[in-house]
Amino acid sequence: MRNIVIFGGSSHPDLADQIASRLNVQLGRAKLSKFSNKETNVEIRESVREKDVYIIQSGCGHVNDNLMELLIMISACKTASAKKVTAVIPCFPYSRQPDAPYKKNGARYIRNSSILPTPVSEVKESLVAATERNEQQNFDVEQSNFSCGSSRNAGYKHWIARSGTLIANLLTCAGADHIMTMDLHDPQFQGFFDVPVDNLYSQPLMIKYIKNNISKYENAVIVSPDAGGAKRATAIADKLHMDFALIHKERRSQIQPHKTDLMLVGEVKDKVCILIDDIADTSLTITKAAKVLNANGAKKIYAIITHAILSGDAIKRIQESVIDQVIVSDSIPQEEHMSRCSKIRVFHVASIFAEAVRRIHNGESISALFGRTELL
Amino acid sequence: MSTNSIKIFAGNSHLELAQLVASKIGVDLSKVVVLKYSNQETSVTIGESVRDEDVFIIQSGCGEINDNLMELLIMINACKTASARRITAVIPCFPYARQDKKDKSRAPITAKLVANMLTVSGANHVITMDLHASQIQGFFNVPVDNLYCEPSMLKYIKTEIPDWKNAMIVSPDAGGAKRATSIADRLNLDFALIHKERKKANEVSRMVLVGDVNGKVAILVDDMADTCGTLITAAKTLKDKGAIKVYAIVAHGILSGKAIDVINEPYLERLVVTNTIPHEDKKRVCPKIDTIDVSPTLAEAIRRTHNGESVSFLFSHAPE
Repeated sequence: MRNIVIFGGSSHPDLADQIASRLNVQLGRAKLSKFSNKETNVEIRESVREKDVYIIQSGCGHVNDNLMELLIMISACKTASAKKVTAVIPCFPYSRQPDAPYKKNGARYIRNSSILPTPVSEVKESLVAATERNEQQNFDVEQSNFSCGSSRNAGYKHWIARSGTLIANLLTCAGADHIMTMDLHDPQFQGFFDVPVDNLYSQPLMIKYIKNNISKYENAVIVSPDAGGAKRATAIADKLHMDFALIHKERRSQIQPHKTDLMLVGEVKDKVCILIDDIADTSLTITKAAKVLNANGAKKIYAIITHAILSGDAIKRIQESVIDQVIVSDSIPQEEHMSRCSKIRVFHVASIFAEAVRRIHNGESISALFGRTELL
Repeated sequence: MSTNSIKIFAGNSHLELAQLVASKIGVDLSKVVVLKYSNQETSVTIGESVRDEDVFIIQSGCGEINDNLMELLIMINACKTASARRITAVIPCFPYARQDKKDKSRAPITAKLVANMLTVSGANHVITMDLHASQIQGFFNVPVDNLYCEPSMLKYIKTEIPDWKNAMIVSPDAGGAKRATSIADRLNLDFALIHKERKKANEVSRMVLVGDVNGKVAILVDDMADTCGTLITAAKTLKDKGAIKVYAIVAHGILSGKAIDVINEPYLERLVVTNTIPHEDKKRVCPKIDTIDVSPTLAEAIRRTHNGESVSFLFSHAPE
């Protein structure tokens, strides 16, 4: 392949190596490090003049550091006269936009020990203290001390920053001409960009895994752990001609509007169940869903997840849950997770990305990647 | 109803300075909660209305720089989508200021990238202090106020350094000559220069002194002290050439890596830094560090910007 340079960021060097070897090119030489004062240092060690540059960086691990590294690499290539710079971001950061400080499925705050938890204002203390008290429940912000009891702010509710547009703008202003990502949490995200965005699907790989590794899959049931993922799950169920079920969060009483119950819609008794979701962060969603399936008589429970962030206590939760196997993609590095949890299996996405890069570079259509699995 | 008041938000990088600034202006810090989600993404929650208000966000480029930079960008963006009238980013120590030119092939001009990012996220105005190169102001399309801590440094020299009348101002490298001569002129003192040959980043080799420091107190003046390699080699050279005592006054005391061990060596009498970067923990292990408080300058700049008055006063006077 001519005029192509592929760089791997420090978030997922393994994936970059795999993609480069699939394409039969050498990974571009770049030195990525940090200065003594923690500023990111990027040195591009080969010429990119008039070349098509692909930078592979996933939004995982230390998200802000990896994001800054990506932006600086894009900017460096642009000022070094690259013809076109494409950012390949398997797991897109800041793609989930919260409505309340606590996501309903529990993406909670951590008091990170490396960050000194000096209160930004008195509000933060009451908010974080409340975290520790309300571990398992959804936290009702309006009832909290957050509006801080000051009567002049009585009508004001909190405003959470939604960083989606900002990240899109930052990537564009750094100089990216094209974005490639996988299984965006919110497909409308593509509209935030002025540059073309290719949102690849891991569905063909999931289907291939189910066909090859789950025996008698035709008798299994595809389950979506929440209503939002129903569309995603039914698409797979249709392709494989399997049955489908859904887990629904139903709010019970008026008095306690935030105590929710999980209800199963569909039949799973004595069946093998396959949970499908795009992101597993704290893994509260899938472990709670698995409990419901188990209570309803499921024989065996698998979970197939595209982006397995697995932060905080997620690994412990999965190990202790009733899920039999968790199958994840390697859009995020999984070696460490696999060494701590025996239930995790990985399916590799390098093939999809490599094929997409090849087709984009040659100016061919990538629609083929959305359906057929023989190419992978 | 908009009150057209100053709203000051503070990020996690330097809460102390923000509190000092807010108390000098006479307002409370506005409510904001900046934390990290379990997957390390930053989360910003603004706790009061900023609609049609004059918002100032104080965040310094220090500590976990990338995290603090993302916090700043997200806070600015949050205020913009919340219809703030004007958003000013107050960045006492500008991050990535040293990567401001292509000094070798394919080097990124990260300072320009940061300038673009600040503008794109919605900042209308930037206030910073002692930029590494004042040309960085040209990277922005929005107005930038580059304040100087020189008046505060002059005040410190006159009040805290005994025998300052017999001192010499020394610049530890050729790039800082202009800064050092400006101070030397204001104090009517002599000036000397140290010329260094640098091999690779954060490592200094040979030093040549231009000027005579024999029998004098030497005051080194620089804008940044990171690993302090430059400062200590300069101090050694000055001591070898006969200086009685060597002080160092620096605007931004980053003091990363082995800086503290290096300062504790006997060549340097005292290291004076401003509080643009928090360093309380470093002061505890190194008694030679002294602080200049620049919160009055920042507070006065914010007040004047809000009221539409001239800021030129601050270029030659250090407010209390």
